[in-house]
Amino acid sequence: MSKAMFRHPDSQTIPVSFTLNGRLQEIDLEPHELLLDVVRERLGLTGAKRSCDVQVCGACTLLVDGRPVSACTTLAFEVRGRSVLTIEGLADNGKLHPLQEAFIEHGGFQCGFCTPGMILAAKALLDENPNPTEEELKHFMHGNICRCTGYKKIIESIMAAAKKMRGARA
Amino acid sequence: MLRRFRVEEPESVKEASELLGRFGESAKVYAGGTELLLAMKEGLIQYERLINIKQLKGLNEVKLENGAIRVGALCTHHQLETSPVLQKNLLSLVKLEQNVANVRVRQVGTLGGNLCFAEPHADPGTLLMAVGATLVAEKQASKREIAAEDFFVDAYETCLEADEVLTEIQLPMPAGRSGVAYLKFGYLERPSVGVAVALTLNGGGKSIGNIRIAVGCAGPAPKRVPEAEELLKGKSIDEATRNLQKAGAVAGSAAQAISDLHGSQEYKEHIVGVLLKRAFQSALTQC
Amino acid sequence: MQFEKEVEILAAKEKVWNFIWDVDRFIACVPGCKEAKTLEEGKRYAATMIEKVGPFRVEFPTTIEVVEREELTRIKAQASGADNKIGSRMKLELDVHLREQDDKTVLGFVVNVDILGKLAALGHGIIKRKADQVLDEFAQAVKKRLEGDV
Repeated sequence: MSKAMFRHPDSQTIPVSFTLNGRLQEIDLEPHELLLDVVRERLGLTGAKRSCDVQVCGACTLLVDGRPVSACTTLAFEVRGRSVLTIEGLADNGKLHPLQEAFIEHGGFQCGFCTPGMILAAKALLDENPNPTEEELKHFMHGNICRCTGYKKIIESIMAAAKKMRGARA
Repeated sequence: MLRRFRVEEPESVKEASELLGRFGESAKVYAGGTELLLAMKEGLIQYERLINIKQLKGLNEVKLENGAIRVGALCTHHQLETSPVLQKNLLSLVKLEQNVANVRVRQVGTLGGNLCFAEPHADPGTLLMAVGATLVAEKQASKREIAAEDFFVDAYETCLEADEVLTEIQLPMPAGRSGVAYLKFGYLERPSVGVAVALTLNGGGKSIGNIRIAVGCAGPAPKRVPEAEELLKGKSIDEATRNLQKAGAVAGSAAQAISDLHGSQEYKEHIVGVLLKRAFQSALTQC
Repeated sequence: MQFEKEVEILAAKEKVWNFIWDVDRFIACVPGCKEAKTLEEGKRYAATMIEKVGPFRVEFPTTIEVVEREELTRIKAQASGADNKIGSRMKLELDVHLREQDDKTVLGFVVNVDILGKLAALGHGIIKRKADQVLDEFAQAVKKRLEGDV
């Protein structure tokens, strides 16, 4: 194999149409762009954080078609034709989502760095399982790391939100 | 930031294989990307082209056919942990898949991708070896079946050829009185030691009919351990249980454990022994 | 990482010694080593080391310097190289010794190698294993070359 094997390939543009926080978004992307960079830098939504950058900590969690993904390790073009939810899209016309309210009420965050990812992951959990046991909650949320709270208040917040959301549904 | 690359989206496995053959080392199969993109972000590997295979049809289903469970290589870990077919017929794989990495990796990572990247600290390969799975690899004009125990060559290296695409994993249906258990140990992000045991009881249910043991994560690649199996196969349950200590030691040595951040070689070998005992007992209770 | 290897070669000490200084043939025994060049006879050499672990490939243009030389007995050398593409460096200290044993020559070497930079992310264990494999193959290749020659 010759030394000069790697040539910079010609750039490729992928037109991507997707729903972002309920609104249609159209954007031209290059294949190598990462979802986290596109969301933060090009779309200005900085709730999702670059933290570990190796999809382990969950601070970059976004919901794609309602399911949690690590935006730091997702190619942006993969959201074509899908719906993406960021923390900025959770509140409804200024009214906070029960999860957001619960995190405030129960002290589910301190520095707040992990919180957007934490709340989105919790939303995905409760959408899948509206009445999780603590074990089920811990298992699902295992991939979201917090350095401040020690998790107790996070669990409380999610459980409280779950209860409220079940009540509202009834 | 990733370096620039192009994405090719072939419409058939044949086309994917042709692209791989044409571009050689400058191209790579891309599915969930949970391992590949990490290495690319680190700058450890570079590709001019990623061959996206997620749009290929028919590779992401779990089916029961002709007495075997057929798992498409593009099935995500999440699909597998929620698969009714697996929940009914191979609970040990469901449990394994439930505990792969974290919920986000399970969402997009595929079983095929996990096997092909052959990261030493991975779960599925070990269990697949114990249950006697067969992997199906396709390239342009041909198809071949590879026994799981022959698939892994070394760390990050499988026996797949450069232009081959893994399309399916076939799992035999568990027979009669049988049990399968996979246990792992680890406190870092990736598992440090994994042991799988699949066994059947013979006629009277008093002795071990057949047994397959595999160890993974501790060494460069998962391995089946026939030397440990010999100590238990055909023995009465009592005698097999007495031999567990020795079988564990044999399996530990066979694991080719490497001292690293996950633990020293001795520690890993010890854990292999512990997990073997527990997996054996767990498999036994299922019979 | 330190490695020690010894290989018994059915050849006279002089033959083994001369083989080592025959740069092209010697380098051919090192798995992944290519394009050997003599920069300064007996003192400085250059080569390219290419190693692969699965999909991970590293290419180190390497300079080798002979630090000590004891005729027919011992060579001490240092080598270093860098692969800027993957931000990794390699440093190597090599101690080669020869001794006669009956009609054989025992060729021994002690190698101290350090891999620095991104490649270390692969894990100490994997790199150590690879280095061990390379050294093993090297020792066997030298033995084969020397014993095979007429």
